[in-house]
Amino acid sequence: MKPAAIGPEQKINTRSKPRSWFMEIWKHRMTYTLLLPGLIWLFVFAYMPMGGLSLAFKHYKANMGIWGSPWVGLENFKYVFRDPTFIDAIWRTLYVNIIKFLISFPFPILLALLLNELRMGKMKKVFQTVFTFPQFLSWIIVSGIVINVLSYDGLLNSALSMLGLSTINFLGSEKMFLPMLILTDIWKSTGWGAIIFLAAISGIDQDQYESAQIDGASRMQQIFKITLPNILPTVTVMFILNVGGLMSAGFDQIFNLANAATQNVSQVLDVYIYRITFQSSTDFSFSTAVSLFRSLVNMILLLSADRVAKMMGGDGLFR
Amino acid sequence: MSTKAAKQHKFRVGKMTFLDYFLLVLLTVLSLMIIIPFWNVIMISFATQKEYANNPLLMWPKHPTLDAYRALFQDGRLLGGFLNTFKILLVGLPLSLFLTSTMAYGLSRNKFPGKKGIFFIVLFTMIFNGGIVPLYLVMKSLHLTGSLWSVILVGSFSAFNMILMMNYFQGLPESLMESARLDGAGEWKILFSIVLPLAAPIMATITLFYGVSFWNGWYDAMIFLRKAEQLPLQNVLRTIIVESTTNVSNAASVDALAKSGFSTGMKMASVFISMVPIMCFFPMLQKHFAKGVLTGAIKT
Repeated sequence: MKPAAIGPEQKINTRSKPRSWFMEIWKHRMTYTLLLPGLIWLFVFAYMPMGGLSLAFKHYKANMGIWGSPWVGLENFKYVFRDPTFIDAIWRTLYVNIIKFLISFPFPILLALLLNELRMGKMKKVFQTVFTFPQFLSWIIVSGIVINVLSYDGLLNSALSMLGLSTINFLGSEKMFLPMLILTDIWKSTGWGAIIFLAAISGIDQDQYESAQIDGASRMQQIFKITLPNILPTVTVMFILNVGGLMSAGFDQIFNLANAATQNVSQVLDVYIYRITFQSSTDFSFSTAVSLFRSLVNMILLLSADRVAKMMGGDGLFR
Repeated sequence: MSTKAAKQHKFRVGKMTFLDYFLLVLLTVLSLMIIIPFWNVIMISFATQKEYANNPLLMWPKHPTLDAYRALFQDGRLLGGFLNTFKILLVGLPLSLFLTSTMAYGLSRNKFPGKKGIFFIVLFTMIFNGGIVPLYLVMKSLHLTGSLWSVILVGSFSAFNMILMMNYFQGLPESLMESARLDGAGEWKILFSIVLPLAAPIMATITLFYGVSFWNGWYDAMIFLRKAEQLPLQNVLRTIIVESTTNVSNAASVDALAKSGFSTGMKMASVFISMVPIMCFFPMLQKHFAKGVLTGAIKT
C-alpha cells in the first residue's frame, strides 16, 4: 500500500464511522433474524422473571400485578432473616450438600480409573452403558426403584433378614436420611460423572506409559505416577465447579425421596421456597425475597468457583 | 508408522493378569448393583401380588402375569399422562430444536455488531434466574398457566444446549457457507440445507437432551398446571409412587397405601413403562452425546 494513501483513507473512515456501523448491521440483517426467535424466548421466559424479582422489594397485591404493586424497600428481607425456618433451611442446605458432595466426589474418578484399566474394549462399553443409564431417568422413576429396594419390606431388607441380619429403616428415619441421599446419589450419577475423567485419561500421552513400562513400573505405579497426576487439573476444576452449585443442588432428589417421617431433615432451601410459595402461605413478595437471596448466593458461588477454576489452570465454565 | 492407537495396542493390551480378572469381577459386581434393582422392579411388575408378598427378592416370577399392566390401563391415569407427555414432545421438540439451532447458528457466524452482547445475554441466564415466583406470575399474566403450553414453552430453550450446538457449528468449515453465499443462498437457507444436514451428531445429542428433559420434567407441570387430567407422565407417576408411599412401617401410611388403590405390581409396572422409551433411545445415542458434551462443555 502506498504511504500517501493512509492519510485520506483514515479521514474517510473516521467521518463515515456511524454509517459503516449501520452498513455492518445491514449486512448481517439475516443473521439477526436468525437470533430473533431465541431472543424473544429469552426476553419472555428468562428476563421478564428477572425483572419480576423487583417483587422482593414490593408488597405484592394480586390485582395490581408485579409491576403495579407498591414499593416497600427492604421490608421483606427483614422478615426473611428473622424467620428461623429460613436460617434453618440455609444451614441444612449447606450441610446436606457439602457432606453429600465430599463423599460422592471421588467415586466417578475411581470408576474412571477402573474402567480405564479394564483391557476388554467390548466389556468396557457394556459397563459404561450400564453405569450411565440411571442418570437419564427422572428422580421420580429412580425413587420408585429406591422405594422398592430400600423400603422396610423391600429388596435389601428382605435380603438382610434372610441372612439373619437386622433390617435398616432407610426411608423412614431421620438418621438414615442423609446416608440414603448419598447412597442413591452415588448410584444414579457416578457413571455419568466418570465420562469427563475418562476423557481426560484418554488425552494422556501414551509415550509416558511406554517409557514407564520400559523402566519396569507396575500398573499400580503407573496409575499413581502417571494417570492420577495427569488428570489432577480436571479433578480440581470439577471439584471447584461443583462447589459452585452447593446452594441449589438436590431438590429433585430430596423432594421425591422425603416423606412425612423425614419432613424435618429434608427442608432444604429449595423445598422451603416451594413450601412457602405454593403450600403454606401465598405471600409472593416474601418468597421472592428468599428466591432472590438464593439466586444471588448461587451466582456469587458459581462465579467465584469459576474464577478459582481458571486460576488453577482449568478452562472453567465460561470462556 | 507408530500411531497413538498402535502404541496403545502394543503397550496397553497384554496377557490377562490377576489384576485384569479382579477388575472384571469388581466391575461386574458394581454393575449388578445397578442391574438388580431394575431387574427386580421389572419382575415384580409381572408377578402376582401374592408371590411378591411372599418373596420381595423376586428375580423370576413362577406365574408371570400381565394383571398389573391390565389394571394400570383400566385405571387410565398413567395412559393419560403418556398422552400429555407425547403432546408436549410433539410440539416441544421441534420448537426447541428450532429455537436452539437458529440461535446457535446465528451466534456461530463471523463477527457482527452486538455478537458478544447477545452471547452474554444467553450466558447470563445460566448463572442467574428470577426463580419460581416471578416465572409463575409472568406465566399467569400471559394466561399460560393451566395450559400445556406453559410446560412446552418453559422447556423449549436451554442455554447449555445452545452453547453445545454453537461450538459444533463453529467447527464446520467456513468455506462451505461462503460458497453457498456466493451461490446466492441466504443464512436461513444455509442453516437448513447445508449446516443442519452436516450436524447429525449434535442434532441427535441435543434432541436426546431436550427429549429426556421433556420426558422427565414434572416441576413446571406441578406448578403451572391445575387439572389432574392435564398432568404429564412424571407427575402421574409421582402420584402413583411417591405420594402414595410413605413410611410403610407405620399404620397410618399403610391405610394411605391401601386407599391409593395401586398395588406394588402396578407401581412397578408404571415405573417400568415410564423408562422404556429412555431404554430404547439411550444406547443408540450414547456415543454421540458423550462426545458432544465433552467437546462442547469442557474443551471450548
